[in-house]
Amino acid sequence: MIKKLINTSEFVVLLTLIGLYVIVGLINPVFFSISTIFDTLRASTVYFFLAFGLLPIIISGGVDISFVAVAAVSSYAAQMFLVSRGYDGGIWAYFIISCAIGILMGLLIWFLVTRFNLPIFSVSLALFTMWYGFALFFIGAQNNFQLPASGVGYYEKNLMTVKLPTGGITSLHSSIIYVVLAGLFIWWFLKYTTIGRGVYAIGGSREVAVRSGFNVKLILLTIFVIMGILAAIAGVFFGLLNRYFGPMDLQGDPLNVIAAVILGGASITGGKGTVFGTVLGVILIQLINRALIFLGIPAQWQVLVVGFMLIIFISMPAIRERRANKLGHSTAMTELE
Amino acid sequence: MAANSDSPNFQTSLFNKFKNHRKDSQTFILLGVFVVLFVFFGLINHNFIAAPSIISMAFQLPEIGILSLAMLLPTIVGGIDLSVNSVANLAAVVSGIFLVKILPVNLLNPALSVVLAIGLALLIGVICGMLNGFLVAYVGVPPILATLATYTTFLGIATGITGGASVTGFPDQMGSIGSGTIFGIPITFVIFALLAILIYFILFRTTFGFKIRMLGSNPTAAKFSGLKNNLILMKLYIIGGVLSSIAGVVAMSYTMSANYEYGTTTYVLLAILITVLSNITPGFGNVFNIFVSVLILQIISTGSHMALMGVQGSSFFKDFLWGILMILIFILNYFMHRKEIQN
Repeated sequence: MIKKLINTSEFVVLLTLIGLYVIVGLINPVFFSISTIFDTLRASTVYFFLAFGLLPIIISGGVDISFVAVAAVSSYAAQMFLVSRGYDGGIWAYFIISCAIGILMGLLIWFLVTRFNLPIFSVSLALFTMWYGFALFFIGAQNNFQLPASGVGYYEKNLMTVKLPTGGITSLHSSIIYVVLAGLFIWWFLKYTTIGRGVYAIGGSREVAVRSGFNVKLILLTIFVIMGILAAIAGVFFGLLNRYFGPMDLQGDPLNVIAAVILGGASITGGKGTVFGTVLGVILIQLINRALIFLGIPAQWQVLVVGFMLIIFISMPAIRERRANKLGHSTAMTELE
Repeated sequence: MAANSDSPNFQTSLFNKFKNHRKDSQTFILLGVFVVLFVFFGLINHNFIAAPSIISMAFQLPEIGILSLAMLLPTIVGGIDLSVNSVANLAAVVSGIFLVKILPVNLLNPALSVVLAIGLALLIGVICGMLNGFLVAYVGVPPILATLATYTTFLGIATGITGGASVTGFPDQMGSIGSGTIFGIPITFVIFALLAILIYFILFRTTFGFKIRMLGSNPTAAKFSGLKNNLILMKLYIIGGVLSSIAGVVAMSYTMSANYEYGTTTYVLLAILITVLSNITPGFGNVFNIFVSVLILQIISTGSHMALMGVQGSSFFKDFLWGILMILIFILNYFMHRKEIQN
């Protein structure tokens, strides 16, 4: 049982994460402070939602790029609409309008993929450039900072505040509750629903899944709608936490989110991946960025250090798999022993 | 004897015919789109088909064209190279610093120092390609992750050595490539066309190219046929690295400056978009499609810019149009294939 646990790819990521935390902490003990954890979680919030939405699509064997465009465009459209109406109520309106737009955008990619039998990656690339172009040309090209009073306040709506021994205070933002809820939902969906099991089935082998009676169209519909909703929520949180909505938000981020999901043990070819692994992958990428500050690396060399760390962290699971293959069986079989 | 349509030979030949036809149909669609767009933008704005606008397009497209060729090779073996643009920038930045700060300008003939700097850029391309190839082929990292990590690393090196500043002040000879013409055709465009022909030649007229396509269509079969898959992948990524560094030199020579983050947010996805539009799939690639796709994107970019002159945010309309056009081409392709299958 324990051996089985140790051999999962999630465990390798967990060890990497703990190793990084301890090593950086030993070099600079300030890193062990609770504020590191709170700040990392806060910086991860948006990426958690994006990664949760992307995970089922990657497990189903597809790679989507357009989810960042869904996040940016749906939230920016909601903001511009509400601002033009002089809206000054609660933030719930943002979530409702964004999610409605996100669902429509999810339905469009689902329609194109299933009706014309197209690869998800190709369609999502076209939609990525189309949606960003759409927002910039038709909705507006400037970042908008006019949040309603409830939206401005949300920036510091904290769950708990802790006094630091050094003097200052640090807070855990309340958005983490929704991250946990979304994570639990995806976990339940993938593990305990027929459609969720079908996601793994079509990712493992589409042909076998069809012949065993899985409804591929329905499964794809579900995961694209989930992607649309979670991306829209991510977009709204991006706006609320950064206190502005922009038409080009997150444009440089799709590859980082994909990397986080795959670092977390999901297979790029489908059929494999867990919520727990995804959480670890997202935190790992954020923690690397945070660690650099504490290691005292000069700003101009920080990107290089991130690159080095990435090369090491992506090589470890690959080397492990390679060793397992040399022994004459795949990692899947190793895990069973 | 007449009813031999069930014989395996007949089926194989039919299958091949179908497959060849399938490949050609994308070229056919792309060429059609190219002509339609050209006429359309020409009718909207007569300046579009005038020589100055066509020459300016020919100056703008080689960079992204060469980056797309660099992206083509990994795509044919089912991989991807996200590092193409940062290899280009790193090569440009290193050779730029070498040219401006290290070479004794007064002692050497400026033309010779430019040649040395370009040689250094190509060397950087080889080294970067080797690192990509090593991670993908010998460590066994999925290409999308490996090249994302090297993308960050190369970007990091370029950021570190420049401290975020642009490198400028090259001798005039540097600009002679980027702004020079041969018989009225920009030199950089000629370089792009020659490289496209070279890649076509490598892929379809050499044993190495045959091995690449075999590896792409079935890696396991290739391995059991005695091919050294790892070595092929390594060579492939090195060629990709060199092509990327050439794109870097072209950009440096055109803009007369080198910057660590030139085109960072858009160029990589644009290069992937071109390979997707060209219908490059593992084992199958058509260099001519890449060439036409690059032309199409440039026509939309320049054409919509001229048509919407003065409208706010007009430079973003091309992104919207690119997306719509890609989806239309996918759908058109679907209907053409469906007809063939029914026939």
